Amino acid sequence: MDAKSRILSRIRQALKGMPKALLPEHPHPASPQDPLALFLKRLAENGAEGHLLDEEGVRRLLADLAQGLPGAAYGKGVPSAFRLLPEIPPEEAPLGVSRALFAVAETGTVALSSEDGRRTQLLPPVHLVLVEEKRVYPSLLEALLDLKSLPSALGLHSGPSKSADIGQVMVKGVHGPGRLVVAVLQGSW
Amino acid sequence: MQAKAKLYPKEAARLLREKPGVREAVTGATLHFEEGRKKAYGEMDAEALRERAKRVKDHLLTHLDQYLELAEKRLREKGVQVHWAEGPEEAHRTLREIVARHGVKRAVKAKSMLTEELGVNPLLESLGVEVFETDLGEYLIQLLGEPPSHIVGPAIHLSLPEIQRLFHGRFGTPLDASPEALAAVARKVLREAFLTAELGISGANFLVAETGTLALMENEGNIRLSTSLPKVHVAFVGIEKLLPRLADLALFLPLTARAATGQRLSTYVSLIQGPAKEGEEGPEEVHVVLVDHGRTTLLHDLEAWEVLRCLRCGACLNACPVYRQTGGHPYGYVYSGPIGAVLDPGLLGLEEAYPLPYASTLCGACYEACPVKIPIPKLLLTWRKRAVERGLAPTWERGAIQAFAKVMESPTLYRLFSKALRGLPLPQDLLPLLRAWTEGRGPLKPSPKPFHLLWQELKE
Repeated sequence: MDAKSRILSRIRQALKGMPKALLPEHPHPASPQDPLALFLKRLAENGAEGHLLDEEGVRRLLADLAQGLPGAAYGKGVPSAFRLLPEIPPEEAPLGVSRALFAVAETGTVALSSEDGRRTQLLPPVHLVLVEEKRVYPSLLEALLDLKSLPSALGLHSGPSKSADIGQVMVKGVHGPGRLVVAVLQGSW
Repeated sequence: MQAKAKLYPKEAARLLREKPGVREAVTGATLHFEEGRKKAYGEMDAEALRERAKRVKDHLLTHLDQYLELAEKRLREKGVQVHWAEGPEEAHRTLREIVARHGVKRAVKAKSMLTEELGVNPLLESLGVEVFETDLGEYLIQLLGEPPSHIVGPAIHLSLPEIQRLFHGRFGTPLDASPEALAAVARKVLREAFLTAELGISGANFLVAETGTLALMENEGNIRLSTSLPKVHVAFVGIEKLLPRLADLALFLPLTARAATGQRLSTYVSLIQGPAKEGEEGPEEVHVVLVDHGRTTLLHDLEAWEVLRCLRCGACLNACPVYRQTGGHPYGYVYSGPIGAVLDPGLLGLEEAYPLPYASTLCGACYEACPVKIPIPKLLLTWRKRAVERGLAPTWERGAIQAFAKVMESPTLYRLFSKALRGLPLPQDLLPLLRAWTEGRGPLKPSPKPFHLLWQELKE
């Protein structure tokens, strides 16, 4: 017998003597009144920066972040209107710009698909994430229940990379970006 | 990993004697975690969420065969290669094959308690693979050649000066280098490793059966890098780590983060479905190794199986007054603290883990902290009872307890002995039970009046 059959047969043997437990239904999420405001508040609490902007506002934010930089790395889904700097590889880029699949208000989270490009999300020290206003879910439960298909990897980012492993002192940007900026785009693109 | 749990009392005493700084470092770190947890539990209906999480886990465990088969099916549909391993031997065989097939010279590894159980690092090193632990804390203890001291914070027992000395010796950084400067040095070494390693190794916080999703939680980004940059990703998953539905993550991810570090969600969560698709960045191969290593034995144990609900959040360690004194090393196995005291006897056998169920004050703080309501104090008593039944507990202890019970049950004997104890000098050094107590606390002094008299006076 292979390992799988041996393990499964031992489990079945064990379960014979046990009463089956029922699976509880998912709860009804209690939606916050203003998910957008909550999202920005939670982002700030997580040590990230959040902005609610129109297209022009996003371009201004980008121009601010781009000052003095030689280039940026871009996720596949970032529209050309927001590619103000020349594109350079994520390994060298001082700035990464991604487009989020969705965001979650209650936890201050942006969800990033592997289809957009993982290196851009992780390697540059500053990460700007664009997300459409209508893609901000009040809760993680609602977002997960609404997901129709999953990319090969989905990253939930809720702030800058951090560690307190050295003498319990919080250090930012240990492996991933030390700065996370989120632009919620009013309307759609 | 070789278990040294039998040495617990000796090792705990030695550590307190030889490394008094550990107590301060561990107490500081665990109290910080514990405050975070209390605050985070206070923000929600913790009782209701813990009860719900317990019920989901109980359902999963009582249908484990079905969910394992479903998870395997879903993983294969997404192009993940699934392997099963009863223990280290089979897990090693799988890993050896992958290393040989891809000519792996370098591996980056995310912190995982299961890979500690399986001895993944020593195996890789024996195969000539250079292994980098990429969690900062885990990297520190890898440089020191130590095992993790805590499930979530593997290096919480180290003080800043110790780390400064370590980096000074290793990388020539100044002895007063700031934590930022030290982290920057580690980051440089590890960034290079991420970009050149052929293999990424991780554990898993959860494996969702419905979708075949691996869920991994962290704050640094090293797990995301380990599972994104190398061309092969291998995840070792304990068979009890499954969840039924994708949406169950909406309960378990925040609950685990709150219990572990007091966060609403960990900074990074990776939800991995499989290898990169055509034209996409990411690993070309993803392997999942489903590992038993004692878990089915625990499932057979009607008095002890509830420990399989454990999410490895470390909340019980932080809440435990015993763990706080020494950190995890004296426990002598991968899992320390209250959860180790009830999990290790199940995984290793009580004979190998005998003293651990006694490493507790039975104060119940671990149960209050546990996000899935594992009745740790009850399980401690179960293992203690078995230790006595199997003759593992010292015979003098058994005799002493029996004598004590006799005296307490008879009012005449009780009066007689309490009078005698107050009148005669206590033979402190003769009784081993007393010696264990007095060694750390000074001699025992009987109260001048018996309790029932004091009580009577108090009432009058």
